[in-house]
Amino acid sequence: MSTPYRATVSFALSCTRRCSTPLVLSRKIASRATAAYTDASLSGAQDPASSSTPPGLDYKQRNVLDRAIRVDQAGEIAANWIYKGQMVVLGKDLHVGPIIQDMWDQEKRHLIVMDKLQVQHHVQPTLLSGVAKVAGFGLGAVTAIMGKEAAMACTEAVETVIGEHYDDQLVALETLPQSHPSIPLLARVIRELRDDELEHLDTAVQHHSQRAPAHALLSAVVGGGCKIAIRLCKEI
Amino acid sequence: MATTSARLLQLAIPLVKTHGFTREALSRSVLSLPTPHAQPLPDAAITSLFGQGDNARKSLIDTWLEDAREQMKATQSTVVKDVLWARLQHNEPVLNYLPDAFAVLASSSTFLPLDPEPAITHAAKVANEACWIAYPTEKSWHTRRASIAAIYLASELHQLTSPSTTYQFLSSLIETSSAAETSLTEAQIFGSYVFKSWAGIVKSTGVFL
Repeated sequence: MSTPYRATVSFALSCTRRCSTPLVLSRKIASRATAAYTDASLSGAQDPASSSTPPGLDYKQRNVLDRAIRVDQAGEIAANWIYKGQMVVLGKDLHVGPIIQDMWDQEKRHLIVMDKLQVQHHVQPTLLSGVAKVAGFGLGAVTAIMGKEAAMACTEAVETVIGEHYDDQLVALETLPQSHPSIPLLARVIRELRDDELEHLDTAVQHHSQRAPAHALLSAVVGGGCKIAIRLCKEI
Repeated sequence: MATTSARLLQLAIPLVKTHGFTREALSRSVLSLPTPHAQPLPDAAITSLFGQGDNARKSLIDTWLEDAREQMKATQSTVVKDVLWARLQHNEPVLNYLPDAFAVLASSSTFLPLDPEPAITHAAKVANEACWIAYPTEKSWHTRRASIAAIYLASELHQLTSPSTTYQFLSSLIETSSAAETSLTEAQIFGSYVFKSWAGIVKSTGVFL
C-alpha cells in the first residue's frame, strides 16, 4: 500500500473517529457496552444478552459468529503481547512509556471482554494463540528497539488493519438474526472496540509514527502480517 | 422431506433400546407419531428417506449420539467425573448394540477399510460438551479436551467389555490425569523459579549495564 494511500486511509479512519467523538464522549459518560462483561454489578446469569448464545443458528450463521469471536480474541491476545514487548524496551521512557501503558491497559480490558464472549458463545479458541503471543511480543520488542517512532508506526499499522477488520465484522454480524439480545450487544461491543483501536491509531500518528524509518515498508510488512494472521486465526 | 426424516429419527431414539440401531427401529418410528400409522414404514420408504443399506443406520446412530450429548447438559453436577459417568450410564440400555453401531460408523469411509475419524470425533464432541459443563473458563482449552476425550474413549471401550467396573476405571483414569497435571504444574513452577534465579544472577553480573 503506498504511503499517500495509507495516509488517506488513516485520515479517513480518524475522521470516522472524530465524527463519532461526541458519541465517544457520550458513551464514556453513559455506560459502555463492554461494561456488561467488565462491570460485576451488570454482568451475571440474569441477563441473556451477556450470558447466553442464540439457539437455533444454522451452520453458516454459527460459523460467522464463531470465526468473529475466535479471531477477535486472538487479535486481542496478540495486541496485549505487542504492547508487552514494547514496554520491555520503552517502558522506562518518560514520554512514550505512559502512552504505551495506557493503550496496553485498554487492550487488557478488551481481552477480558473477548474471553467472556468466547465462553458465552461456546467458541473454540484458535490453536494459534501461542504463536500470537510469541509473534506479538517479537513484533513489539523489535519495533521498539528500532525506536519510538517505529513502535508508534507498528501501532498505527496494526490498528489500521484492525479498524478495517472490525468494520467488516459489523457488516457480517448484520446477517445474523437480531432477535436474540446477545447479537446486538456483540455488535455494540465490536463497535466500541473499533473506536478504541482507532483512538490508538490517532495516538500513534500524533506521536510521530510517520517519521519512523522506512515507514511505508514497515507499515506494509506489519499490515500484511496482520491480514495473514487474521485469515489463519479464522480457520485454525 | 428433511423435516420428516429428522422427526422420525427423534421418534426412533426410544426404540433403539428394543430394536437396536436398525432400519426396523426407523420403520417403527411412525407408530409413535401423534397420529400413528397403522403399519410400520416399508423398507422402500426408509431407503427414500434415509438412504440405502447402512446409511439409514448411520443417520440413526448419529442422531442417538447427538441426543446423548444433549442429555449431558441435564447433569446436576459440574464435576467432570460425574458428567462423564452420566454419559456412560446413558449407554447402558443399548450396550449390546453399541459395538455394532461403532463398527457401522468405522466402516462408512469410501477410502479406508477402517476409519478412526468417527471414533475420534465422537470422543471429541463428548469431551467438548463435558468441558463446557465442568471447565467453562478453562485456559488450556485444547489440552484439557484432548485429555478428557482420551479418558472418555478408554472408559467407553472398557464399558463395552466390562460394564460392572466402568465407574472404577473412569475414576482411576481421572485421578491419574489429575496427578499428572499437578506434577506438570509443579514442574513448571520449579522451572520458572530456576529461570528467575538465573536471570537474577546474569543481571547481577552487570552484563546488561
